[in-house]
Amino acid sequence: MKQILKRTDVIFKITLFCLFIFLYFVATSYPEKSKKFPQLVCISTTIIIAVSLIFDFSRKGKIEKEILDVGDTELTKIDEDFKKIRRHRFIKAWAIILISTAIGFLGGFLITTFLLLIGFLFLFGEKGNFLKNITISLLITLIIFFTFQLIFGISLIKGF
Amino acid sequence: MFDYLLQAANIVIHWQNLLALLSGTIIGIIIGVLPGLGPSAGMALTLPLILKWNPTTALIFMGALYKCSNYGGSITAILVNTPGDASNAATILDGYPMCEKGKGGVALGLSATAAMVGGTIGMICLVFSAPILAEFALKFGPAEYFLTAILALTIISAVVQGALLKGLISAGLGLMLSTVGFDVITGHLRFTFGLTAIEDGIPLIQALVGLFAVTQALCLAESAQSISRIGKLAGGFWEGAITYFKYPYRIIHSAIIGLIVGVLPAVGQSSAGLLAWAEAKRESKHPESFGKGDPEGLIASETSTNACMPGDLVCTIALGIPGSVGAAIFLGIMIIFGVVPGPLVFQEKAQVIYSLFFALILTSFILFLIGMTIARHFALVTLLPNEIIVPIILVVSLLGSFAIRNLMEDVLISLIFGVIGYIMLRGGFTPVPLLLGLVLGEMVEYNYHRAMMISGGSYSIFLSSSISKILIILIILSLFGPHLGIFWKKLRKMKGGKSYV
Repeated sequence: MKQILKRTDVIFKITLFCLFIFLYFVATSYPEKSKKFPQLVCISTTIIIAVSLIFDFSRKGKIEKEILDVGDTELTKIDEDFKKIRRHRFIKAWAIILISTAIGFLGGFLITTFLLLIGFLFLFGEKGNFLKNITISLLITLIIFFTFQLIFGISLIKGF
Repeated sequence: MFDYLLQAANIVIHWQNLLALLSGTIIGIIIGVLPGLGPSAGMALTLPLILKWNPTTALIFMGALYKCSNYGGSITAILVNTPGDASNAATILDGYPMCEKGKGGVALGLSATAAMVGGTIGMICLVFSAPILAEFALKFGPAEYFLTAILALTIISAVVQGALLKGLISAGLGLMLSTVGFDVITGHLRFTFGLTAIEDGIPLIQALVGLFAVTQALCLAESAQSISRIGKLAGGFWEGAITYFKYPYRIIHSAIIGLIVGVLPAVGQSSAGLLAWAEAKRESKHPESFGKGDPEGLIASETSTNACMPGDLVCTIALGIPGSVGAAIFLGIMIIFGVVPGPLVFQEKAQVIYSLFFALILTSFILFLIGMTIARHFALVTLLPNEIIVPIILVVSLLGSFAIRNLMEDVLISLIFGVIGYIMLRGGFTPVPLLLGLVLGEMVEYNYHRAMMISGGSYSIFLSSSISKILIILIILSLFGPHLGIFWKKLRKMKGGKSYV
């Protein structure tokens, strides 16, 4: 139920608000014609964000009352558990993506793709089936490699 | 004109031209399916292969490829929420939710039928009305173009998710991002903070890949589900094809929107699809179902996008003004083959031009037949387990992102946009207005400066013509219309209540 508050929404708006103000001042050093349009966009979007935030905060009291009504019920517990699982999966996914991309800089396409596939298969799929996971990863890597590199002649990440 | 069309039919059914048409169709679909490789990249990649061909055959091949890559992009937009090109952005709004309900095959059937019907309506209108439409487009000056783009942004912001302020913030962010890089007017470098990879601006395809494909992969990774949430396919291609014809008004309405938007230079297919979708939602008796897998939404966006392409060709062929990046490349290819666009091209190169038109009509039907054959197989993608589909989406889309400029920085740009898209979705924002802002931003700024230069700095230019005035009224209505409606209903309720008292 707590998601009614949409904390991400408010944080995102405040971040954008600060970003647009920052960009407005960055633009002041540009020539007259170059700064006019971005500053116009900055001003209008900042006003819209401000209005939107005013709406959000004016509704805050009502939302808090709704949360108090729900209290510490089973519903909030399920919600929290669900969020926890979702967060764990998100962190794991990003860990695999970042590690594979970083290795892509060094090892090139084949290693990156293989690592990405094997990472997802092991962390999100059947952990025990080692041989199956390796075979699927290798097969998909080779199919993508042949499709892009050999059939379409598209250059792939080479690495150092 | 009918003589020309009969001659064109004779030329197109020659085995060489039919083969060119078929290969252009198949290559176009495959290129469209690969994220990052839109019609522009497809035409650029295959140009060396056809340089020695005769002009008619070469243009038939390129025309088919240009048209069909758009359909290929719709396939990925529907199945994995990854538009092949900006023109497929509207397809994901209802196409992907249909897949989540297990109706991937139905959505592909709708899309293929829309490609056939929308494309054919567009081409027939183009054949008969090219000179009139071109004349209409000439009435648009910088102020009108500026206002048209703003109208597209406000309509999308207001309608796409039903939260106007959030939509406008998203569009504002898109417009701001479009100012990154060299200024189109002065050449001054803006907001790059020393990063060379974004000196030419935020790369559109890379941003698109990030906003839709990476974000989608992250959401799927979190959910632990396959794309089809029910774990099976419900309905097939023919159900989609039959459903399509149950909405004749929507088909005609969306095709008209597509044609009009297509005729306007630089507004493009992405705006056409989104505008038709927004209009369908506005007119619908059940607007809440839009964006949740409503077939009418998909029909509107797909028909309009496909009808837009011929409209796009009007300005390219009749005036030499391309309506999109793809059309600009097509224009270049026409010139390479000695077909110089302009009003006289319909007389001087009538045979080539009408052969191209006829071939494009034929392509619409071949596209439908191919779609019918492959839809069932493609739809199986939605049943792949989460741990397989997520890395495949990531690898193929990020590879598409890398392949455009062979820069590892582009992969990082896509990942950054993936994070932005993810945060936006979690915060209840939609990335669609952001994408449209990014697409139209350069045009908005360029025409804003041109209008101001013409008027000597006076804003009155935006009210000088009747077209401008109509556009301004439409902008105001798109922003405040829904609220006026609610206000009016409340007022009527109050009046009704009083009468009881």
